[in-house]
Amino acid sequence: MSQTTKTPPSAPAEASNRVTLGWSNRLLARPEVGALVAAIVIFIFFLIVAPAFRSPASFFTVLYQSSTIGIVAVAVGMLMIGGEFDLSAGVIVTTAGLVNAMFCYQLGINLIVGAVLSLVFSLVIGFLNGYLVVRTGIPSFLITLGTFFVLQGANLGVTKLVTGSVSTPNINQMQGYSTLDAIFASSFKIGTVTVEITVLWWFLFVALSAWILQRTRIGNWIYAVGGNADSARAVGVPVKAVKIGLFMTVSFLGWFVGMHTLYKFDTLQAGNGIGNEFLYIIAAVVGGTLLTGGFGNAIGVAIGAFIFGMTSLCIVYAGWDPNWFRAFLGVMLLLAVMVNLYVKRLSTARKVG
Amino acid sequence: MTPTRTRKSLTVAAGMAMAAALALSACSSGGAPSTSSTAGSGGGGAGDNSGYTFAMVTHETPGDTFWDKIKAGAQQAAKNNGITLKYSNDPDPGKQATLIQNAVDSKVDGIATTLATPDALAGAVKSANDAGIPVVAFNSGIDQYQQVGAKMYFGSDENLAGTTAGKRIASAGGKKALCVIQASGSVALEARCAGVKAGLPATENIQVNGADDPSVVSALQAKLAQDSSIDYIVTLGAPIALDALKAMDAAGSKAKLVTFDLNVDAAQAIKDKKIEFSIDQQPYVQGYLAIQSLYLNKKNGNDIGGGKAVLTGPSFVDSSNIDQILPFAKNNTR
Amino acid sequence: MTDTLAEHADPELSSGEPLIEMKDVGKTYGAIRALKGINLTVRAGEVTCVLGDNGAGKSTLIKIMAGLHPHNEGTMKVDGKEVSFSSPRESLDHGIATVYQDLAVVSLMEVWRNFFLGSELTSGKGPFATLRIADMKRIADEELRKMGVVVKDINQPIGTLSGGQRQCVAIARAVYFGARVLILDEPTAALGVKQSGVVLKYTAAARDAGLGVVFITHNPHHAYLVGNHFVILKLGQAVLDKKRADVGLDELTRQMAGGDELTELSHELQK
Repeated sequence: MSQTTKTPPSAPAEASNRVTLGWSNRLLARPEVGALVAAIVIFIFFLIVAPAFRSPASFFTVLYQSSTIGIVAVAVGMLMIGGEFDLSAGVIVTTAGLVNAMFCYQLGINLIVGAVLSLVFSLVIGFLNGYLVVRTGIPSFLITLGTFFVLQGANLGVTKLVTGSVSTPNINQMQGYSTLDAIFASSFKIGTVTVEITVLWWFLFVALSAWILQRTRIGNWIYAVGGNADSARAVGVPVKAVKIGLFMTVSFLGWFVGMHTLYKFDTLQAGNGIGNEFLYIIAAVVGGTLLTGGFGNAIGVAIGAFIFGMTSLCIVYAGWDPNWFRAFLGVMLLLAVMVNLYVKRLSTARKVG
Repeated sequence: MTPTRTRKSLTVAAGMAMAAALALSACSSGGAPSTSSTAGSGGGGAGDNSGYTFAMVTHETPGDTFWDKIKAGAQQAAKNNGITLKYSNDPDPGKQATLIQNAVDSKVDGIATTLATPDALAGAVKSANDAGIPVVAFNSGIDQYQQVGAKMYFGSDENLAGTTAGKRIASAGGKKALCVIQASGSVALEARCAGVKAGLPATENIQVNGADDPSVVSALQAKLAQDSSIDYIVTLGAPIALDALKAMDAAGSKAKLVTFDLNVDAAQAIKDKKIEFSIDQQPYVQGYLAIQSLYLNKKNGNDIGGGKAVLTGPSFVDSSNIDQILPFAKNNTR
Repeated sequence: MTDTLAEHADPELSSGEPLIEMKDVGKTYGAIRALKGINLTVRAGEVTCVLGDNGAGKSTLIKIMAGLHPHNEGTMKVDGKEVSFSSPRESLDHGIATVYQDLAVVSLMEVWRNFFLGSELTSGKGPFATLRIADMKRIADEELRKMGVVVKDINQPIGTLSGGQRQCVAIARAVYFGARVLILDEPTAALGVKQSGVVLKYTAAARDAGLGVVFITHNPHHAYLVGNHFVILKLGQAVLDKKRADVGLDELTRQMAGGDELTELSHELQK
């Protein structure tokens, strides 16, 4: 102990040569701001060019469209904040519905039992996705691409094997139908406006996700796991459990939308749902989620889904050729990615005067 | 639940030979309303035991019930004549050509193929002809099948079917129709809508994502809100027709619905007068005749159609004949 | 302000008391031997410097103490009890905190979230317990100020701080959460002279607060500024193990630069 250092580290001097983030920069650094501005611009634009959009009924149709993408996107957004991808999120929606429909129909069992079984089945798939990713260290992009193909093939193969056709039989006469229909696929009128129940579920899930991400310990862990898994692990965050939990959240909300689709349409085509996984990712990215993880929030993802729903329908409201929709979506995505890149530079760059 | 087991004895009797049918009757004993058996239930004679092996190659995108009926027809014809049927499919034209080439390489006795993309498949068909393997076309390629080198064609003329439907709508007093295309870039679907437009000039097309039912519903709902003058909707596939019914309901639309093709629920909707009529191209017949014609050609040198395409449609299904057809739809053969 | 470090340090720590004792510790990864026969004692109120070139076995040694990989030879005792850690959580629970060179913090997260990461203040239990955000912001700000790290805004992403400040936040965090042993992995490697100075002052402050500090570096000058005990690793074995009184900066530097091999080389080159 020959040395004594009693002088305090003189940090204030160091702080003085940093610049403070300006008001505008700080606002831009919030993940949902870019998406919100875009949503408002698009909204006003379509109010002007699409007269049919100017009614509450149309607005709620847009909300319904947004909700069917937005519910799964909530989970996909959380997963992406946690630094992983799930390409099987689109087909698992169909898988969940098929399991419920066929199991109950072939065995003559109450649909509620099938819905629970389907939930367990979906969660197992989510668990397997997560377990394989954390166990092998193979990028989730590849693992879930595998799951995607397996489920896609199994959906068709098993359905064909069981029903002799590639769609499920109609289940609307079976026991438990009315209960599940009320939970997952009902709608009610407010004045002239029809409100689909999925819109309310969507709002609920967004609120729940926002609360978890911002206000709970697990939320803190999700950001840390996506931002820097090694350092999260070093301070004692259970990285593997968090990731597996996120994959299971995706399959849970996939199951939820699967239930909606089944009980709204009563039959399911086994080949459906393919391609939607990209819509979920697009909603999350447009909403300000960073592809590399660690950044984003639930409100942003919800706005992303709303932008998707709004553009896909407003092109119809405007009477344009809907073939252009994909092109429009691509432009939105590119813009969102560029805004994200800018934001990441802004928030990670050292500000030295 | 409404157990309808009236057909159970039929299923057992007709389907004994087929493992699939066996599995099904075992399953439905759980109490669910029994639905369908596969191809076997229609006929069931032992037939000739020719020992031929025929390949059927299509551009099927997996997951469309339409193709189940084509396969059911083909399997029935194969069973009747003791034929081994090898079915394969790929929506990608290049891969479909490879599948035809595979069939040639494995020295099958005959090939039945769809010609959705005639130019891409011409080479493969030629190599089959060079190897002395007869090729027949079905379902699509009515204008090009001879040029490509197929001996016969069984299918409907999409354009003609559309035009007939358009005229029928016009004569029923339709003013403006909305033609719903569920897959982008398909020549056959575009041809149907073009035909409808030829029969009813005030026809507009809309593109929807057929792989996502909720988005089909909301897109149609939006379109009906945008243009209230639409009084007829034409869907190009039975599942889409059911989505359209949801959308019309939600939008409070008074439009009438017409669809191409059939499935159980669409047939039921026709019976319930929710769908005006269906333009059926009879896929079961397409699959059946394609295999049957190859058999007759090999066995007896026959040529069907007198050098011209054999039309399997359009056959109209409406409230006048639905009672007869509904059981067949439930059987997956219509 | 060094006093505030002492404020949080375990009052029962008495200087010179052995916290970690390693005896003949070794580690093999399959057929590859990474570490062999290491004897090392980390004492309270002392800085133990572990020096070595790349690949000398420094990171393996850290990983054993931090709970990332368990050792498979010899014994390791913490507070006199034999242990073998299988997760970082276990190591943390024994009061051993590790601050890594590059991965000390999650740069996109706010300073206060980083400060409390893994030890969040919550009302209630379980992963879904609500965070006490206001408390966490206030405490993080106060503690960092007390320890001499002043950030403009506790809500800014920690990535906007300088490298030295980030290391300091990580050290402050470890001390605040009651670390008794602090392992610093190359804390000055990526820093300039001035930033290194800040971190070294911090290291000394932690030592004076009575913590046992393990300082991993390949810079003998930095080590000599704060160290009480020096161990040089080469090819997974200790080649020098001396107290400050027994070794000078020159010898440390010479050993680090290659030691006897270098002397031989210089003879050869001079011929």
